[in-house]
Amino acid sequence: MKNLMDGRLPRRLLLLFELMSMSLILLYRRDSLDIKTVALAFGLLVVVYGANYILSRLSDGDLYIFLIVSMLISIGIIMIFRISSDLGLKQLMWLVIGVGAFFGSYLMITKISFWESLFPVYIAAAYSFFAMTLLLGDRKHGAINWISIGGISFQPAEMTKIILVFILACFYSSRDKFNKYKYADYWMMGVIYSFIGLLFIQRDLGTAMIFMGIFTGLQYIYSNDRMAIRANLGLFTIGGITAYILFDHVKVRIMTWLNPWPYIDNKGYQITQSLFAIAEGSYFGTGLGRGNPSFIPLSYNDFIFSSITEEMGVFTGIGIIMLFMILVYRGFKIALKQDSKFYRILALGITLMFGLQSLVIIGGVTKVIPLTGLTLPFVSYGGTSVLSSFIALGILQGASEKLTREEIR
Amino acid sequence: MFDLLSIVFKYIFVIIIYMFIFVIIRMIYLDIRAMESNPEDSGAYLKLLNRLDSLPYRVRDSYSLKGTISLGRSSENDIVIKDPFVSKRHLMITKDEEEYFIEDLGSSNGTYVNKQLLVDAAKLVNGDIIKIGDLEFIFVNRR
Amino acid sequence: MNLEKKRILILLASLCTGFAILIGYLSYFQIFRAEDVRNNSYNKRLWINEDKILRGSITDRDGNLLAYSEASDGTARRIYKYDRLYSHVIGYSLKEYGKSGLEKSFNSYLVGANENTAINELINLINPTGVGNNLKLTIDHSLQAKARELLSGKKGSIIAMDPKTGEILAMVSLPDFNVNTLIQEWNTVSEDTNSPLFNRATQGLYPPGSVFKIVTAIGVMRASNPDDLYNCTGTVIIDGKEFSDSDKKGHGELGLNEAFAKSCNTYFAIKALEIGHSELLKIAEELGFNKKLDVGLESSSSVFPTDSKGDTDLAASGIGQGRILATPLNMLAIIAGIANDGAMMEPYLVSEMTSPEGKLINSHEQALTMQVGDIDEIARLKEMLREVVKTGTGRNASIKNVAVAGKTGTAENPTGKNHAWFAGFAPFDDPKVAVVVILEEEGSSGGSSAAPIARDIMIHALNNVDFNR
Repeated sequence: MKNLMDGRLPRRLLLLFELMSMSLILLYRRDSLDIKTVALAFGLLVVVYGANYILSRLSDGDLYIFLIVSMLISIGIIMIFRISSDLGLKQLMWLVIGVGAFFGSYLMITKISFWESLFPVYIAAAYSFFAMTLLLGDRKHGAINWISIGGISFQPAEMTKIILVFILACFYSSRDKFNKYKYADYWMMGVIYSFIGLLFIQRDLGTAMIFMGIFTGLQYIYSNDRMAIRANLGLFTIGGITAYILFDHVKVRIMTWLNPWPYIDNKGYQITQSLFAIAEGSYFGTGLGRGNPSFIPLSYNDFIFSSITEEMGVFTGIGIIMLFMILVYRGFKIALKQDSKFYRILALGITLMFGLQSLVIIGGVTKVIPLTGLTLPFVSYGGTSVLSSFIALGILQGASEKLTREEIR
Repeated sequence: MFDLLSIVFKYIFVIIIYMFIFVIIRMIYLDIRAMESNPEDSGAYLKLLNRLDSLPYRVRDSYSLKGTISLGRSSENDIVIKDPFVSKRHLMITKDEEEYFIEDLGSSNGTYVNKQLLVDAAKLVNGDIIKIGDLEFIFVNRR
Repeated sequence: MNLEKKRILILLASLCTGFAILIGYLSYFQIFRAEDVRNNSYNKRLWINEDKILRGSITDRDGNLLAYSEASDGTARRIYKYDRLYSHVIGYSLKEYGKSGLEKSFNSYLVGANENTAINELINLINPTGVGNNLKLTIDHSLQAKARELLSGKKGSIIAMDPKTGEILAMVSLPDFNVNTLIQEWNTVSEDTNSPLFNRATQGLYPPGSVFKIVTAIGVMRASNPDDLYNCTGTVIIDGKEFSDSDKKGHGELGLNEAFAKSCNTYFAIKALEIGHSELLKIAEELGFNKKLDVGLESSSSVFPTDSKGDTDLAASGIGQGRILATPLNMLAIIAGIANDGAMMEPYLVSEMTSPEGKLINSHEQALTMQVGDIDEIARLKEMLREVVKTGTGRNASIKNVAVAGKTGTAENPTGKNHAWFAGFAPFDDPKVAVVVILEEEGSSGGSSAAPIARDIMIHALNNVDFNR
């Protein structure tokens, strides 16, 4: 018999948090309120609570990951809305769409079972996305990441990340199928490196690191050719050093990471502003609405973590890290329990994606590692980011169920 | 006014967030503990005889019987079987002192124990075969 | 399956370690680094209150006003009563060029924010004042003025403090600058090769020369026999390098006390070898070398080399040359500590912070930094310091009717003329004031140039300062 109190308690705490913080933010923005905003805000509340409920009815799998993500998006939306009502509304809309996308991808994964056989399709799709970006892309913040179509801009790279996970899952789960090609491992590595190279050309170093990380992690677990792993790490090191020597923008990133203070008014501006915000926050923060996150560039995006730490304190910052840690733990647990190799690797890849991305961006804004242009999944503002994160989460949710319907080989 | 609320709330928010985290951790921990104890180790249980992958719905291969349990299509039951031949509230197994009894709750298609249609409540003995719809279970009670 | 499972778990552990590192760093940052980061001039948050709050005022120990703000039709102006006198101690607070000195390190108090505790935050809300808090310094204005007068025309620093409490009575560094015209003169001032913006008292690093023999003397008492007689012939060769006294004839046979009083180089050079590098390092670090001394101003740590580079280097260290560098503040803390029978008190500049209504918010708790040496060592050291002034190289520091103690130093400067040092205290039996004088590139000896200045400072202090204990 389930203990009802326990089961519903997190949901209730979340609801309480959302209610209190939303009321506070609405009070903060009382001068520019309109019915639409209030309606959307409470709409999100309903959507989140409802989605958690529906999921518990629908799925036999892990219920914690969606719960954790619900808390993450709540903290994020509160901060974004506090920074700008415009962005807040947009994010609200994307979150609702995202939840829908979550159920969509969940159903697709659980109901449809031919995902394993689409290897060539994935490869083609990945390269097309890259081509699209290079041909049609705009340069934003120094990187060619974005494509604008009819007023909406999106980042194809976010989708390519997921395709990468599918590619690797196909490859490693049906490894024997590839045995007829000699050096299949190295061909795969070549393909992945071509992706990373393309990302480098786009100047999207952060995503390149994530691609590298996901590939290396899965390769470490699944590659029978241990030489390939060493080759990978070796090439990575050489590549890294070459990049440092050849590319100025890499050099700049490393210099401003080691000591940003001499460059405080140009190259080091972003990271120092981030540090000021984090220092200002102290343990419990300055209080919502009482700090100055707007002093940080991209306060709603790459630096959302710093903004949150400023107004809600180091304790909340640590809380967010802990939430990601639990999410990653659950993801790995899901993978371990999954009997089907394909879905297992899918789960691992997606968890790696979430884990590495959050590690890299939080590490970057706190100056533990050099800064890269990445978003904090679920928390940062950004339609494509939210969408792709929820789609990935849906896949993970699907992989958390005992998928008894796959063919027995 | 706003400032005052914001200052008071910031402490509350941290408390809520950490309560949230710890409740989740605790729930996960309890789940692990429950899962670690295999139903087949403790006392009586029902073991599924059909092949799992021949069934179009979710079923476990064993269900532990601790005390009174209900079985049926509705989610309110302890054992939920989403089979159209299983009634919403199909049967009940109760424990009286050390003995287990099975009782049909007025189901449309009936419950068969050892191929006999169950009319009244009957005592379950180790090795009894229980059939509901397409499903066949064996009642195991090692005591 | 098992190998796969193991690798998966390893990967999980690595990720979790990564997260744990982030949590650890955030905690470390908050506990140890946050305050310093906040006080950076580029942090706009420091400035948002500027226009709204009337900055608090700063007074000396007797209540004389040194800096204050006044509002005239909406804007506030910062007024420094003395153009140059407190340019390094109080510093400046300018939108264009940031903050320095105590204006910087005590900024949050001057702008009104009290201790960042929950209760204070609420209090501030309920009862907000548009005025910042006031600082009361330990400085005695007349002594500060006298010190600057005595130093004028030279480069260097004078610092005076009360050895029993740690209160800094005067701190002057020359060259200095005019805070009231700084905005107009910024370019000239900041590009001046004599570095007027640099606070030599806390940041200046100079070879201490013979003043360092205080440290070596303690070493002799601990690791050697202070009463052993050494025959000084004026020069000695150690590992090929010559060490000599100014008096090339040699001092003859002397023990520790006499060598100290006459500041015999060859004695201390040889003795340094006996003491050994690690013991000398240990004593130096006990006395504050290689450590940070925080009085709320930008400061450097004095340097005693942690690695040993052979005998010549060690011998040079023994006489305060070689790779040793000392800040005037550190030398003052040492001499004051000896004056106070080995109890080195933490030097400080700000004694009280009061609210605009005059209520005491915070006062400095006098703290013992370190208890140095045992009673006998210190007592003997004090006697030696007395002898320096009575009959030795520090005669120019003597005051009629007051027993003065101290040590002179003439430090060789590889890039220019010698620095002249004097560190001392008075009166000998009940020390009230400790003083350090350093004349940068003076060219003459500590005894002839620095000692008389120290004497005048001590006279003024003993006559005019209210030691209110």
